Amino acid sequence: MYGYLAGLKLEARLIHAHPDSLIPLVTAPLFTIIFLAIVRESGRYDLQPDALMAPVLMSLWWVALQHGGNIITGDRWQNLLESIVAVPTSLASLLLGRVTTVMCLGLVSFFEVWAIGELLFGVSPAFEHPLELVLILVCTAFASAGASVAFAALFVMTRNAYTFTNSAGFPLYLLSGVFVPVAVLPGWIHPVSSVIFMSWSADLLRASMKSAAIDDFWLRLGVVVLLGAVSFLIGRLVLFYVLRRMRTTGELATA
Amino acid sequence: MSAIATTLTIMRHAFRAGLSDYRSMYTWKSWLAGWFVRVLAQVSFFALIGERLGSDERTTFYLLVGNALAVAAVTGVFSLNATSAERWAGTLPLLVASPSSPVIVFGSRGSYLAVDGALSALSGLFVAGAIFGMELPWPRVLLVVPLTMLVAYSCYCFGTFLAGIVFRFRDINSFVVLTSYMTIMAVCGVNVPLTYYPEALEWISRFLPLTNGLLAIRGVFDGDAASAILGDAALEAAVAIGWMTAALLSFNRLASRGRRDGSLDYGA
Repeated sequence: MYGYLAGLKLEARLIHAHPDSLIPLVTAPLFTIIFLAIVRESGRYDLQPDALMAPVLMSLWWVALQHGGNIITGDRWQNLLESIVAVPTSLASLLLGRVTTVMCLGLVSFFEVWAIGELLFGVSPAFEHPLELVLILVCTAFASAGASVAFAALFVMTRNAYTFTNSAGFPLYLLSGVFVPVAVLPGWIHPVSSVIFMSWSADLLRASMKSAAIDDFWLRLGVVVLLGAVSFLIGRLVLFYVLRRMRTTGELATA
Repeated sequence: MSAIATTLTIMRHAFRAGLSDYRSMYTWKSWLAGWFVRVLAQVSFFALIGERLGSDERTTFYLLVGNALAVAAVTGVFSLNATSAERWAGTLPLLVASPSSPVIVFGSRGSYLAVDGALSALSGLFVAGAIFGMELPWPRVLLVVPLTMLVAYSCYCFGTFLAGIVFRFRDINSFVVLTSYMTIMAVCGVNVPLTYYPEALEWISRFLPLTNGLLAIRGVFDGDAASAILGDAALEAAVAIGWMTAALLSFNRLASRGRRDGSLDYGA
């Protein structure tokens, strides 16, 4: 727990020191303007809630991939990884603490999107199922944290994670159906999308904006949490083996 | 060696260094499996939004063309990452201390991005166009190639100007890259016509890269008169020259200021 809290505080300080960390808080409002402009220009006012929720999901993906995913790689570049591995607390708890802070940052985008929608277009999210909405956002942030740990573990194995992080954003947005539901995509994509937690979150979030009751809410929310937990466990497992190999071969800073 | 020959030598070395950097990031396989997949996904993402709107095909194709060309913009604006890369490598103060102007180095080192941007945009446009069944009017469509190259170069000039601005504020480098790119996506007629926004914004967008070039490219697809297409292309070229001139005028002054107050540090 001490390591978790230390990670939480450390990441908050790092974000405070590096304004670049706040990128999703800039891109979310701009995506909101773009999406709202598209649907309003076409007269599809019924899609405005979807246009508001897509940037929130994209921000969570972004922080999981770009920020959380690069935590260990960044530490390695700055020769901090040796010190972090040497301390008695577990790297996983420290990492989880740092990722939690990052996810809180991602969730701020919801309020930003709400404010921009209201100020510029007079549109706000449809709070048809407020309790469910909060639960979906919290569970999505949790699952994103799990994905973040998996990304962080996988990226540390690669020589050039930049290539992947720079390229993976839009394919993930597309496969997750953050704006256009997965059901609209070609059938062969559906199995891939079904194992991505964000596709479940996106469908739930859209359903929460409609007045009709949300079908199988708890089951679908459970899938989001389960897929997030699986990602976290995969990340932890990979990290365990990667660090053991690095300690054995002495490649901690150079591999 | 004359001043021009020296400048050309510096530009050649800087370009080769940039190309080496790029080769260390991408092989042709990772470009195809990584970057190109992203380009295709980005263009398809917006084209699918067009399909979801359920209006006529024109909306889908409007979004497809706009967002394919926006890829050229993002790649061009990436050129301002060059300053951060120099800082990470610890070579930024050395460049500023050298007798040649840093703008020559930065202006050349990232120019491969204009080539990459044009190639990415064109491949995204034609592949996504084929997937979504967009008609490519032959042989007019060939005009899209030089126009896309012009847009990519224009965005690259804009990126070089921004590189001078963030020279002393490298902590906000990525921040400026993404904000610039997203602003271009929002106001330059990529997703909605320029007339959608207030007139003042429309005017401002005419001074940004991509806006005029994109109008010219849309004109090619819509079968507009050659004079209208040429007019928009000329405006895009003027915008490119304008931003490169601004970069040349501001870069050295900003770098010198950093040298005076000691803000050009090594490393992160």
